[in-house]
Amino acid sequence: MIKEAEIIRMALNGDQSAQTELVKTHSTRIYNLGLRIMRNEEDAEDVLQETFITMLNKLQQFSGKSSLYTWLYRIATNIALQKLREKKRLEAKISIHEPDFEALRGSQLREWPEHLEEKINDEQFRNCLSVAMEDLPENYRAVFVLRDLENLSTKEAAGVLEISEANVKVRLMRARLFLRDKLAHHLKCVGETR
Amino acid sequence: MKHQHDEKIMNKIAEQLGADFNAEVIAEVAEHMRECPDCKIYVDSVKQTIKLYRVTESEFSVPEDVSDRLFKVLKLDNR
Repeated sequence: MIKEAEIIRMALNGDQSAQTELVKTHSTRIYNLGLRIMRNEEDAEDVLQETFITMLNKLQQFSGKSSLYTWLYRIATNIALQKLREKKRLEAKISIHEPDFEALRGSQLREWPEHLEEKINDEQFRNCLSVAMEDLPENYRAVFVLRDLENLSTKEAAGVLEISEANVKVRLMRARLFLRDKLAHHLKCVGETR
Repeated sequence: MKHQHDEKIMNKIAEQLGADFNAEVIAEVAEHMRECPDCKIYVDSVKQTIKLYRVTESEFSVPEDVSDRLFKVLKLDNR
């Protein structure tokens, strides 16, 4: 089996089968990353195409210090975030005020129902999960997707987003609390306030 | 949370909420959770939230038509 470094070298030399191999190896991860950040198939396809166009045009800039997928995640995440910001501008939906994340901390303290996993076949519940994710501002959504859904480490996510590890941790905490709060309201687990 | 929490423990819990839950829980936080059911409920509900998203956001294969268009745009042979 040829190592990826060798395939990259061949792709850089214009070997189309090596270029195809790289696209095939990484397209599923990039497509899913696009779906999770963009929340629709059409935009995920755009992210997929633009990521691999960029990869083929800029492969000589890949230093090999990180893995190729981390480098591709950085390209794809930047494209996705830029698209989301453009969309906001076009739809005039710029949120001047971010949600008050601090107010979310510890605001609902009733125990959640047991066997919540059984609810995931409930269309209304799935819709609630999806809407909560769409409502999460993109900077936080990207961190949640990279860390909790794509299973990147704090260090890898920081590298992809080009922010500090401390910043990743703060954004991840806020994203988790935001989503938790939305679900708590849906589940009517809203109890006493601190 | 019913009783007063000092800032130090709140910061440690917040730190935990932004980190890996499978990482070793700071002893102080673990001890606090044993004594404070509210905090335990709260942290557990965050864990449940992540678990639910992991289940519902499962991985999709790239649809055939999407893959075909990708290779066409890249001018590569998809075989």
